[in-house]
Amino acid sequence: MSDSEKWAWWVLGVVLLTVGAYGAFLKFFGHNQATTSVFALLALTAVPASSRRYFRGRTFDEREREIANKAWRAGFSAVWLAFIGLFMTIGFVKGWDATLTVPVWNLEETILWAWVVVLGVEAVTTLILYRGGAHA
Amino acid sequence: MPSQEPAITNQIRRLRFEHGEMTQDQLAKMAGVTRHTIMALEAGKYFPSLLLAFRIARAFGAPVDRVFEFRDTV
Repeated sequence: MSDSEKWAWWVLGVVLLTVGAYGAFLKFFGHNQATTSVFALLALTAVPASSRRYFRGRTFDEREREIANKAWRAGFSAVWLAFIGLFMTIGFVKGWDATLTVPVWNLEETILWAWVVVLGVEAVTTLILYRGGAHA
Repeated sequence: MPSQEPAITNQIRRLRFEHGEMTQDQLAKMAGVTRHTIMALEAGKYFPSLLLAFRIARAFGAPVDRVFEFRDTV
């Protein structure tokens, strides 16, 4: 298994852990600032870059760089689509002239969810391209 | 009508065996890529850059057109 695949599995695990922890907090504590704190788990995605024993870091040759670039673009494309979808939905549901008032933590959480989507889609795309894609 | 066959084929697998059964790992190290990339090249699933093509050809001591072949499929 290549370093990039190890990285992708690790990141996917962190993303699933974060989503799971968020769900658990939501169930036991409700939707508030405490729930937002679980996004700190995303910091675990930095482990591969700092652990030389188990993850040597992502060593790239030209094919792996191509895969990484495609995965990165897929992640941001997914967020962009979600972003457009969210704003269109809000517009249609609330009305295009409506005024929204949202708490700051809600806004922060939206950005953190966007980062979860970027990482999740990037990791899944990386695994797909390694396993069965045109670059496999 | 254009064919769906890949336009670039290669002789990497044959050349490895002609060079003392060179392993994919050895070739990868000589070309500066991972073994997975050599596997993808041999399977015809990845087409290398010009730079990598020259590196692989140099590893075999052969001209590029002996390792890689372009087929006009149109």
